[in-house]
Amino acid sequence: MKNNINTILKRAGILSLAVSSLIFTSCEDELNVLPEDSPVTELVFSNGTLALGALEGMYSAAQQDDVLNGTLQLSGEWQSDNVDFEGTFPTFNEIRQYTILSTNTSINGMWDDNYETIASANLVIDNVPLVDDASFTPAQRTQAIAEARFMRALVYLNISAYFGQPLQVADGRNNLSVPLVTSSEIGLEVNRATLGEVHDFIESELLAIIPDLGAPTTRIKANSGAAKALLARLYLYQERFADAAQMADEVISDGFYALATDYTFYNQRGSTEHIYTLANNADDGQDSGEGFSGLTNPNPLGRGDAPFSDDLLAAYAAEPGDLRFTTLNQTGNDAQGNVRTFTSKFPDGNNDADDAPVIRITEMYLTRAEGNFRAGSTVGAVPLADINTLRTRAGLPNLTAVDLDIILNERRKELAFEGQRRMDLMRNGMDLRRPGQPDANLSAPGMDRTIFPIPQAVRDLSPFLAQNPGY
Amino acid sequence: MKFRLKNAMYLLLFLSVIFKVNAQERTVSGVVSDDVGPLPGVNIIIKNTSKGTESDADGKYSIKAKTGDILVFSFVGMKTVERPVGASNKIDVTLENDNFLEEIVVVAYGAQSEKKVITSVSKVNQEAIKDLVTDSPQNILQGQASGVQVVSSSGVLGASPELRIRGTNSIGTNVRPLFVVDGVILGDDFLTGAQGGGQGLNPLSSINPNDIENISVLKSAAATALYGSRGANGVVIITTKTGSKDGSVKVNLDFSTSISSVTDTPELLNAQQFRDFSAITAPTRTIFDGNFDFIDAVFRNAVSQSYNLGVNGGNEKSSFYIGVTREDQEGILVGNELERTSFRGNIKTQANDWLTLGLNSSVSVNKFDRTPQENAFAAPYTIANLQRQDVNPIDENGNFTTAGNVGGGNVIAQELLNLNLATETRITGNAFADIDFSSLLNGLSFKTDFGVDRRFVEAQTREVDLLTPGGEAFNGISQQNRFTITPTFLYNNKLGEKHNLSLLAGYSYDQNDIRNIDVAGTGFLDDSFINVTSASTFTTTSSDGTTSRLVSYFGRASYDYDNGKYVLEASLRRDGSSRFGLNNQFGTFWSAAFGWNISDENFMADVNWIRDLILNVSAGTAGNDRIGNFASLGTFFNSPYNNNPGLRPNSLANPDLRWETTTGFDAGISASFLNRRLTVGVEFYKKITDDLILNVPVDPTFNLGLNAVATNIGEIQNTGVDVDITSVNFDTESGFKWTTNLNIGYNKNEVTKLPGDNIDERGNRFVAQGGSFSGQRAIEGHSANSFYLIRYVGVNPQTGDAEWLDADGNITTNPTQADRVVAGQANPDFVGGLTNTFKYKNWSLSTLFNFSVGNDIFLASRSFSENPRSGFNKTTRVLNIWQNPGDNAFIPSTSSSTYGVFEQDSTLQLEDGSFARLKNVTLAYSLPQSLLDNVFLSNVRFYATATNLLTIKSDGLDGYDPETSRNADGGGAIGEEFFNIPQARTYTLGVNITF
Repeated sequence: MKNNINTILKRAGILSLAVSSLIFTSCEDELNVLPEDSPVTELVFSNGTLALGALEGMYSAAQQDDVLNGTLQLSGEWQSDNVDFEGTFPTFNEIRQYTILSTNTSINGMWDDNYETIASANLVIDNVPLVDDASFTPAQRTQAIAEARFMRALVYLNISAYFGQPLQVADGRNNLSVPLVTSSEIGLEVNRATLGEVHDFIESELLAIIPDLGAPTTRIKANSGAAKALLARLYLYQERFADAAQMADEVISDGFYALATDYTFYNQRGSTEHIYTLANNADDGQDSGEGFSGLTNPNPLGRGDAPFSDDLLAAYAAEPGDLRFTTLNQTGNDAQGNVRTFTSKFPDGNNDADDAPVIRITEMYLTRAEGNFRAGSTVGAVPLADINTLRTRAGLPNLTAVDLDIILNERRKELAFEGQRRMDLMRNGMDLRRPGQPDANLSAPGMDRTIFPIPQAVRDLSPFLAQNPGY
Repeated sequence: MKFRLKNAMYLLLFLSVIFKVNAQERTVSGVVSDDVGPLPGVNIIIKNTSKGTESDADGKYSIKAKTGDILVFSFVGMKTVERPVGASNKIDVTLENDNFLEEIVVVAYGAQSEKKVITSVSKVNQEAIKDLVTDSPQNILQGQASGVQVVSSSGVLGASPELRIRGTNSIGTNVRPLFVVDGVILGDDFLTGAQGGGQGLNPLSSINPNDIENISVLKSAAATALYGSRGANGVVIITTKTGSKDGSVKVNLDFSTSISSVTDTPELLNAQQFRDFSAITAPTRTIFDGNFDFIDAVFRNAVSQSYNLGVNGGNEKSSFYIGVTREDQEGILVGNELERTSFRGNIKTQANDWLTLGLNSSVSVNKFDRTPQENAFAAPYTIANLQRQDVNPIDENGNFTTAGNVGGGNVIAQELLNLNLATETRITGNAFADIDFSSLLNGLSFKTDFGVDRRFVEAQTREVDLLTPGGEAFNGISQQNRFTITPTFLYNNKLGEKHNLSLLAGYSYDQNDIRNIDVAGTGFLDDSFINVTSASTFTTTSSDGTTSRLVSYFGRASYDYDNGKYVLEASLRRDGSSRFGLNNQFGTFWSAAFGWNISDENFMADVNWIRDLILNVSAGTAGNDRIGNFASLGTFFNSPYNNNPGLRPNSLANPDLRWETTTGFDAGISASFLNRRLTVGVEFYKKITDDLILNVPVDPTFNLGLNAVATNIGEIQNTGVDVDITSVNFDTESGFKWTTNLNIGYNKNEVTKLPGDNIDERGNRFVAQGGSFSGQRAIEGHSANSFYLIRYVGVNPQTGDAEWLDADGNITTNPTQADRVVAGQANPDFVGGLTNTFKYKNWSLSTLFNFSVGNDIFLASRSFSENPRSGFNKTTRVLNIWQNPGDNAFIPSTSSSTYGVFEQDSTLQLEDGSFARLKNVTLAYSLPQSLLDNVFLSNVRFYATATNLLTIKSDGLDGYDPETSRNADGGGAIGEEFFNIPQARTYTLGVNITF
């Protein structure tokens, strides 16, 4: 009997131990976990340091190849007469051959990534004034907002050039351009703005931030010289030649920028040549292998997709000894295995870490020359002098006179592979291809496939965004 | 009883005297026993007469019969035995337990005898899988269970197979079922990179098939409801081998060696054909004078060996199993190898009359030498297809060249010189204690189980300077640690003679942690410095971690009446998961089932043509939680600029996010015929999965540049029938036995509701399937894996133009995306397996066919391999190019406007993917016992196996493997090929020794 009671007690004891272990292991609080390295939005603008981190993130967003690191820029080069496409990607081939489909995934990526950058800028602009942190000074806030507005303006200038016809074609200012998204509010929809509205917005933004940015101290982030230079570029697109020359002159006169003495400046971040260059490093650089370094280097260093076109080679060959060619080219295999000539402006195909020269002082000299020439003015210097300055650096003899063709040719030889050629041709009403080049018959200004479609995936979700003709 | 016997005997005696029966009639007698001792009350009758008797208390019987009569011995619960009367007057009979439907089947959190399993569970026995030559637990299930579809994705070792139970159950998450080994939930996240393919190495590749005793596949929501928010895709429960209770120790050794080669590759242009073709289509192309067969060079005849030791033994108190496996496998692709070492130890011991303790543990190491799979310049099979054969990769001095090579690399050099390794070490185990509380309350017991699954994966690559100037090294370590604590109470008792009640109540806590470290560097002085430490520039230095937790309460009540005549079951489970939005963290899942063993009814007692007639009806809900760990939160991610930390938007928030719910209804009927030689089971099911988690696309323009929000919206239905037929065709006394097993699953998959964000040109709502080359979509009113393509007609013989159909069905030479229609689907209508087993004395032959009918495959590689204009190599189909009116050509005329867009995505690349494959043929011979009597060996079995011996597929798949899937991670597009490596045909010879 006693044994039985003992046994039962023992069992009961074990039973209660078991039950209590049940309760003990009840861990419902364990369910509320937050990710270790991905802060929620409320945390991101909770103090000044984190808010400035969001600004840094905006520059990082611009490092996507589709934004400032080369894919968009090379698309322009492929569409023009500068660069051939020899690779495997059907999407890039479509861009090159003017057979673009609205479902082109590379173009979809470009739209996506550029609007990501715009959104990063909008988040800073909207939230920085609201940050509850006394140590985050008004001056810091103004600076941050100005930098974000610069990036936003830059991206809008870039994408409006590709996704709608330029001013020189069809309805001019009333051509449909990109949607002008200026708020970080999620889900707020706007329709496509006209090209005039986009240009006006860019101009007003840049004019407003120039005083906020103060005297320039950096070349790898937004600065006042970059804002002015971007304005100069815009004025050139708008054929406001006097304004363009004026603005270019202001940048040249700012002692912070000066022509480099030779062409080794491309990866020298401190070179006075740079007005705004995007800093890429081996562990944080171009992100897809389809940016400047990945596309323009021969195989196997890069993809071998973007060799010189014969027409561009001829342009340099017309005046042999041009240092802009002889010091900046390399030979190698293209993606198909053929030996071609490639640029060496972006030589780091291994790490894709070459900097991306977004705006440099040379462009200002060219803009001042062209602006002066076409406005009949001589602000800062006569066009001939500006052109000869650049030619001297290139090891070419001085000219005695210039005309528009010469200025555009110098512009072409200076800025090849940097994404400017396409708009230079379009704003002058010229075909994108020269006679004899493939698909020249599809490259006249205003032709449907010289501009990109609004991506099908975007239109599926926002059908109110009208598609470009022909797509 | 005694009285009746005596009477019967007197009557017989009287009758025999009166009627002077046949002079040959005599008294036949003997003893009837079972495996314990004499068996009284056994009915003995003379077949086809009414003459009979019963055995007495000592099991003895006596009956008058003549030569040629057949005596039939029968007893409830025992197998009926027939014996002919011959010359002898003494016939002793031993009756065996009739185990028909008494086999134990493992179900959710328990085990049940087969006849009482009323939810949808397929059992796969050791017998069926022991001769399969596979490398993964998923592949073992191919063709073994109705409604279970397994598709191998690639011929590389460790390729992840696609496994679906009863159709596609989800669109935005994935449909992989839960895998459980001895109660331990397995971690099955992908921890290796994809290397060109759609996914990394199979996360379950380190589960050793040799350790598996049996597998239970829980197919319906009612069966998996006890797994709550993780059961919707089905559950595969693996039970590893245990010891024995009879006091013996059995040792089993298995040695085998295999040779493998590739099954089928496309016919490509050789060097001269490429030169001739270029002369017509690209006369200015640079031509080389080499001649090299790349396909031949990247494949080889691969030789593999496998050694396995299994020891099991024990007595009534303790039992154990020890398993050791060592395998050296070569893949059919040069440079692909797998070295596998695996140990397992399972122990169970009864410490005293109320405490049982046990430990199952395994350690395995898989060392892969990887080759990239597809869609990469480094993928050997992709390059071998694209590389023009007029280029020699090795020059006359024996050096590797890169000129003219696709991607400027060298596919031969890369496999020889580059390092590409992945090693997975896995420790899986559980410890349990089972306490019997019968002294407190009869039938009560408590079990606590602590299970662990730890994976440690190291990936290491090193590219040499020749192929990547400066060289590049990468080293990554990923760990997945899962542990589960499950205390449960079980109450099991008979109430009265006929009522059986079983109650289960439990709690479970599950934690799943993943941590990663990655480093990479470039710029090496020499190829022999293989580690990142010797790099001059570190391109990657990163680490991260993530976790998810699950808290659950569950219970089940089972009741059966009269040994399973009526069975009732119900279960409930409440799950709380860290993955879901704060507004919806907890969910409840239930099941209810009823089974009726009609044959047990009195009115069926005399019905013999149909037996074991059982009707099962069940319904239940289960959830699917296979989304990211933090999908409901709106977050930023770290994205630096120029070495300064930065933050960018990462995801949009949804605090209402919850699991997907599958509600299932099943009705099944099974029966046996022809004296249990034919068993047929048919089960009808309907599953409705709603609250589908879809990344509802949002326009990035207006949503921070982000593309989607995870939302519960959408509904998908799967309706189908699973049929299982087992037939013992022959079972003669001479020892010839032929058994056929056929399982077929018919499935119809329909998306019934989708968000309205995407509407196609026909006005149907759709969602794009991820990772698709063809624009595969889930379309409302159609399958979740529908192909949406322009219809291709052919090359017009008169004009030389390629022609397509526009949306209205008219011929056009200028189709647009608006002309796409639903052109096919990737989900099969039928899948199944047919197993035939032949046994004759010491020989056995078994064949397994698995088949899939009604699915389409999109051959995305054709837009590269059959593009007439590119500089890549092509299939020989392109030689048929239109030149003159009247030509029936494959390629349009070079001057046609369609020549530039001929290979655009269309039904040109879509083929019928139905196939039947002779997956396994095994011929085995066991040495006769007589030879082994004096030796210590108890069984020696020689076997020869052929895997993938024969494939029956459509002509359109000539050169391609019908088992192909670019993605095999359970989500996104299926049925698409892009230079997937075909499966291997393997011949294996082995010997199995038991002593």
